[in-house]
Amino acid sequence: MNNKILRHNTSDIILHWFNALCWFLLLITGLGVLGNHQINPLGKWFPAMMESLCGGAECLLTVHEIIGLVWISAFLLYLLLNFRASMNFLREIFTIHPRRDLVWLLKKPLQLTIGNKAMRRLGLNTELPPQGFYNVGQKAFAQPAVILGLIIAVTGIIMFLSDKVLAEEQTVLVIWSIGIHYVAVGLVTAGLAIHIFMAAINIEERPAFYSMFSGYVPVEHVKYHNPLWYEEIIQEEQSLPDSGTSRTQEATGVQEQSTADKI
Amino acid sequence: MKSQYAMIIDSSKCIDCKACLAACKQVNDLPEDHWRNWIKYSEQDPQSAETHLVHFQPGGCMQCNTPTCVEACPTRATYKDERDGTVKIDYGLCIGCGSCIPACPYGARYRNPITRKVDKCDFCDFWRNNFGLEPACVSTCPTKARIFGDIHDPKTRAYQVLRENSDRVVRLSNPQTETKPNMFYLKNTAPKDWPKPARTPDPIKAMLCCLTPGLQGILGASILGALVMWGKQIFTRSEEEQDDRESE
Repeated sequence: MNNKILRHNTSDIILHWFNALCWFLLLITGLGVLGNHQINPLGKWFPAMMESLCGGAECLLTVHEIIGLVWISAFLLYLLLNFRASMNFLREIFTIHPRRDLVWLLKKPLQLTIGNKAMRRLGLNTELPPQGFYNVGQKAFAQPAVILGLIIAVTGIIMFLSDKVLAEEQTVLVIWSIGIHYVAVGLVTAGLAIHIFMAAINIEERPAFYSMFSGYVPVEHVKYHNPLWYEEIIQEEQSLPDSGTSRTQEATGVQEQSTADKI
Repeated sequence: MKSQYAMIIDSSKCIDCKACLAACKQVNDLPEDHWRNWIKYSEQDPQSAETHLVHFQPGGCMQCNTPTCVEACPTRATYKDERDGTVKIDYGLCIGCGSCIPACPYGARYRNPITRKVDKCDFCDFWRNNFGLEPACVSTCPTKARIFGDIHDPKTRAYQVLRENSDRVVRLSNPQTETKPNMFYLKNTAPKDWPKPARTPDPIKAMLCCLTPGLQGILGASILGALVMWGKQIFTRSEEEQDDRESE
């Protein structure tokens, strides 16, 4: 089966990897700036190393601020240019179906840790409830990533403005921003560890990982992992045979791709 | 042995002329209404008419050995310089959040409204290091109430004076916050009970006490979870899993 479905368009792929690069650089420079070893989760050595690499803590702070501003600007630009797609994304990740999603959330981690066999031995059914474009595990990371990302951006801007425009009476905002920024980044990073494992290391999700480069996922993968999304594509394809909504274009993309493969 | 710059102050010599305040303000180009040093006054007891004497006590940042301001700074923009024992501020790193201001028991810090960064006495670091000058308040004092120098260096006058008066110097500090200040007053100084307990702002206090270990725990658990899943993936033969899936 060579049939493929378009899962991510080019701008989404660029945004994803741009975001990943920014987060990585912001995380290491941010941890580097956190020179008070009593509040640095990595302790003394990390800020010392980063300071040596960057040539001083002042430089680290400047780099952190610049990357942060570029990151925020890029997201604002994306939001302006792709407003509808952004709203669809937000609607998609914040839509949950408590009954079946809860079962999925309980079973999937068991499957990944003790395995199907052990689950059957415990008398558990290993079948997972069907999922849509994103499974609820992905949503469980996407939701906090969006909300905490927003919090990180806002608190970051407040801290950036502290010695530019804020008066002494407003520094209480800055001090709270420091604490909130710190916790939000810590939580996102904890989620990121699972996200990176699921996306880049977990063998089952390998086709989805490749789709973050090529844009395409095999139909078989979609049928098994995202059956509700697959149903949606088929339905849309049948109800709107030739008018141009984005989904049907994707579905036509499937056919074009498959003919190309045959040739 | 590392240097430890300090001041020994005989406050009974102070005549409240405020030359030290003016010199400091001029040399360090301080903004309006802000000062790096001060003169405190002993309170007069209105009931006792015996004495009308007020004791003047000059002071400034005490360059403490266990500085609570340094602990309150998230970035180490303020730090204890191990080379000369003073507490410094890295103005490139300070964003002027002001966490350190209430963390000083002596009120030695303020936020400069022009630079929007925190400022305090640094024993005239620039003039001392570049021109070998004493701090402005020391050299300007007409009665020489302040003696400045490296108290770890036996050749300095500060070392000798401190040694000679070792039984009659006091370090002013709040009993709740022992910061081991490097400002030594001769015993009869007054007032003595003015230092406040250090107050670290709540968010920073939370980071120090529980948020950091909490986040370390959450991060550790999540990385451990990923490693367990990875291990499981490595140790279970993928073919078995394939069969498994097809049989379902």
